[in-house]
Amino acid sequence: MPLVEVNGNACTGCGVCVETCPTDVLRLDADQKAFMAYPADCQGCFVCQWDCAYGAVRVHINDPASTSDSP
Amino acid sequence: MAVRLETDVLVIGGGIAGAFAAYRAREAGARVLLVDRSYFGRSGCSALASGVYPAYMPGDDKDAWMRAFGGPLVNQPLVAKSLPVMHEHVLLMDRWGVNWVKEGRKIVRMGAPGRSFANGVWMAEGGPQMMMAVRAGVVGSGVEVLNRVALTELLTSDGQLPTSGRVVGACGFHTRTGEIHEITAKATVVCTGPYKFPYPWPGSTLGYMPIDLSGDGIAMMMRAGAELSRLELGGINLNPDNALSAPGLESLMPSGAKWVDKDGRRFLEDYDPKRMEMTQRALLYFAIAHQKEKGQVPSMDLREVSPERMQLIRRVIPIVVNNQEAMVGDLTEKPVPYTFQVAGTSGIFGAGARVTERGETTVPGLYAAGTCTDMTYLPGGNLPFCSVTGDWTGRAVGAAVGSAERPQPPAEQVERVTAEILEPLQRRDGGEFEPVHRRLGELLMEKVGLVLHADRLDAALGELRDIREHEVSRLTAQNPHELAKVWGLAQYVQVLEATLRAYRHRTESRVAFIREDYPIIDNVNWIKMVVVKQENGALRLWDEPMPESWHDPHPVRPTQNLHLVFRNQEADRAAR
Repeated sequence: MPLVEVNGNACTGCGVCVETCPTDVLRLDADQKAFMAYPADCQGCFVCQWDCAYGAVRVHINDPASTSDSP
Repeated sequence: MAVRLETDVLVIGGGIAGAFAAYRAREAGARVLLVDRSYFGRSGCSALASGVYPAYMPGDDKDAWMRAFGGPLVNQPLVAKSLPVMHEHVLLMDRWGVNWVKEGRKIVRMGAPGRSFANGVWMAEGGPQMMMAVRAGVVGSGVEVLNRVALTELLTSDGQLPTSGRVVGACGFHTRTGEIHEITAKATVVCTGPYKFPYPWPGSTLGYMPIDLSGDGIAMMMRAGAELSRLELGGINLNPDNALSAPGLESLMPSGAKWVDKDGRRFLEDYDPKRMEMTQRALLYFAIAHQKEKGQVPSMDLREVSPERMQLIRRVIPIVVNNQEAMVGDLTEKPVPYTFQVAGTSGIFGAGARVTERGETTVPGLYAAGTCTDMTYLPGGNLPFCSVTGDWTGRAVGAAVGSAERPQPPAEQVERVTAEILEPLQRRDGGEFEPVHRRLGELLMEKVGLVLHADRLDAALGELRDIREHEVSRLTAQNPHELAKVWGLAQYVQVLEATLRAYRHRTESRVAFIREDYPIIDNVNWIKMVVVKQENGALRLWDEPMPESWHDPHPVRPTQNLHLVFRNQEADRAAR
């Protein structure tokens, strides 16, 4: 399952990724940082990473918690 | 409280077809509201496009273009008419800020698979940049936009589905707040794109969720009584799709990518020794399906792509390359196994509502453009046909709504539709989404497969009806986000049933539509379109010969047996 990793130090809470995610996966948390509210719906399209102006978002196609990113 | 909106032209879907439809209708003076289930400029196919807009440009050989798209089931005069519009669109998008690959100020042309000439215009920052620039151009023209509203049912003047009157708007809900939206319009234009089955098979990269390409526009039009066509051809059944395939082939193949088997042999030698990787996309699909049938694992070998070209490719198809490299590491180091994704899709050739070149469906007040129609012919890059049909539809609609009255749907229809929309939120003992989603994926993979057969299709249709009647109808949603998924799945299942029925109806093989029980390309009996229509709660299918005005001037072979051709080649090789 893909994972959207948000660097909390770099995320400004601008909400662009929340606005543009095609499958509506992301929301801002209480600290105004983006997080995956609906992780099962991430299709790994990289739009959030592309749209983040602050380099705060990184998409992993395979969740590093369960499998390695590269073979 | 329901949100009630009125407009002249309602455009449903914010890909490139919807963008051009909205822009041209607005230009004609109409009030235009574009509604997107996700976010205009980011949803659906266009933003994830292959980075290539194959466009006719002045100086191109028109005849070569016509030969390239001269399939026997293609409306030839329409293709000819579309060519200069493609060029117009390249220039318009250039003004909007789309970053085409250029040398100095000149747009560079690139080759493409299956083409004898360089027809491609490449996006220097891929589909995401293209669509945001297009969005800015369209919004700047005065088109109003509503994001995150999933419109799930068309409204009609007589309150009936199918209607004997006309379509007068649509009804749906906000996917975050759950608010019902009732939109009435003088004309409704459906531009919801293809449908892509949403099941992330193990090993696949892009897993489509039914919040995005679920064919909801096609399902809505079908319920309103619109005739559909090309479902079996546009559907490409389960095309062997993955991140390296649909978005990517157009730039990878002309850059020196090779298809190899597990021993490193370029297996396209067996299928098209002359053009090899630059063969037609349909033949490539066939070759891959055939290799899979034989138990081979086709891989893509990018080791001979030059570093400069690879650098360009990384910019043109950033999502594809990012996605694939996240899976397997550096793409240029070793051949990459071709992961196999279940994707019941219509994204390649376009399938859906039968439309005229003005975008008129068979239902008054209802228009459609792009890949949810039967009029996007350009295999391996139908973006131009989407923008062109969007353009023509927008102009026609803009001209038609000027003096028209805005009819209202009967209040009881709005009430009924609203109750239906919200029902999954109120069910208490219904089923969960994921097991049904999974069961559908397994049905496609195991029962339908890549190479079709009547027996397997019948079994699949039986199971699909069971899923529709007993599982999809019982799904529950805890919140508006889940409601969007449930509705996506419900719409998809209806389109899939129509598609499987169309597969069953066409008793031949053609392009990537391959039937084990009818392996012949039958140009004697099947220069026809299969039409599907919902009547009295059931699907009716029939076939019709191509209109004479669609005449293909290029001769076609009467029949050709795909399976025998390859079996004979294999026997020859074995004998040698």
